Amino acid sequence: MNVLILGGAGMLGPYVARELAPNHNLRITDVNPPQEDLPGEFLLLDAADLDGVVAAAADMDAIVNLSVLRRHRQTAWDVSTRGCYNMMQAAVTHGIRRVINTGPHYTVAGRHITEVHDFDIVPDIPPQPGTNLYALTKAMGLEICRVFTQHHDISVQHYLFYNFKDPAAIQPGERYAPYVISWENAAEAFTLGLDIDLDALPSRNEVFYVFADMPHGKFSNEKTKRILGFKPRKDVEILWK
Amino acid sequence: MRILITSASHDRSAALADHLSQNHEVRLTERTHVETEHEFALSGLGHDSSTNLLTRGIDAIIHAVEPLPGEDVSSQLDAATRCTYNLLMAAAEEGVQKVILLSTLDLMAGYPPGYRVAETWRPLPGTQPPTLTKHMAEQVSREFAREGSLGVTVLRLGEASYETIAVAVDEALAEPASLAAKHRSREEGAAEAWSITHIGERA
Repeated sequence: MNVLILGGAGMLGPYVARELAPNHNLRITDVNPPQEDLPGEFLLLDAADLDGVVAAAADMDAIVNLSVLRRHRQTAWDVSTRGCYNMMQAAVTHGIRRVINTGPHYTVAGRHITEVHDFDIVPDIPPQPGTNLYALTKAMGLEICRVFTQHHDISVQHYLFYNFKDPAAIQPGERYAPYVISWENAAEAFTLGLDIDLDALPSRNEVFYVFADMPHGKFSNEKTKRILGFKPRKDVEILWK
Repeated sequence: MRILITSASHDRSAALADHLSQNHEVRLTERTHVETEHEFALSGLGHDSSTNLLTRGIDAIIHAVEPLPGEDVSSQLDAATRCTYNLLMAAAEEGVQKVILLSTLDLMAGYPPGYRVAETWRPLPGTQPPTLTKHMAEQVSREFAREGSLGVTVLRLGEASYETIAVAVDEALAEPASLAAKHRSREEGAAEAWSITHIGERA
């Protein structure tokens, strides 16, 4: 499969690229040059550049969007919200039916449903991001994707993350979020998302929480395991054992 | 009441300014310069302090979310999302009591003719402006209301005369501030921080 990765030179991008490279042809883009050699073709591209994103998606079978800018009140909207519009417009232009988008866990849960009070927090809830810039800009990107899926035969899988860890670097007693995954395990979800029969997805717009099995029951990754066949590794358990 | 109206270059904003200035102090704003008899402030609705200054001392904002002439889709989306966020963030910080968002009843055009479509029904935007941009502005403003930092009244305008729209705006302005910012009463009967009213007929 020919796969366009937007924002592929960031923190998660290299892990995803290495995971997908053996079985897919990659075109990786980022606003910054990569800090390490990445497999496939690389293009310097701002996800906020509509024409550039549409051009980069030519001849692709799938788009994976890893682009993110969290804190700046111009670029966060440019990338996280308008970047999704650009990605979906590119998918429409080139007839690409498979899109994987990414964001933080509070894209849907906001800070109203919190790990402080609640348990079994699932991804299939009405989005309520609140006004936190990162959460809201990603939520508006998700909403744009949802609207496009209502009008076009495009399936979007939204993979939401919270806290990434390098298992080899975990220190005894280290603090951690109640929703953790190793970088390598996170990357494996993208193989599943590219392989899954799109008709096996419940709808054309599906949200997944991607994280390791954790004992406290705050968030639920049950849907991710059930639908994508995601297999959490046990490589971050040292955090709570 | 001191009222700020956005999208000053749009006919509806100008008409509302003329109407409201009979009983209120009106300030118009736009992202480019506009010739007007009313007080005017040029503002890109950025995240700098100028947007705070724009909203300082304002009691109510009528946010029209209209494009500039010839504006491309990217800029329209930017204005509807980022600029709305900046405007409402500044409004919340400056203690503005009320925001009236002028949206469109075209958001409900996807429902079959003859259906009695209510404000509680899900909007059905398309993938292009104006329905997508109006929808996104609604979504952004809803989160400010959800958090209790602003009271937002959405007027979804259908086929309606300026007079009808002016009456709807008057009524929305006359409603008591819905929340008193973060100290909103939870007692029964307290106005909702987020409300939607359909004005006129669906196309």
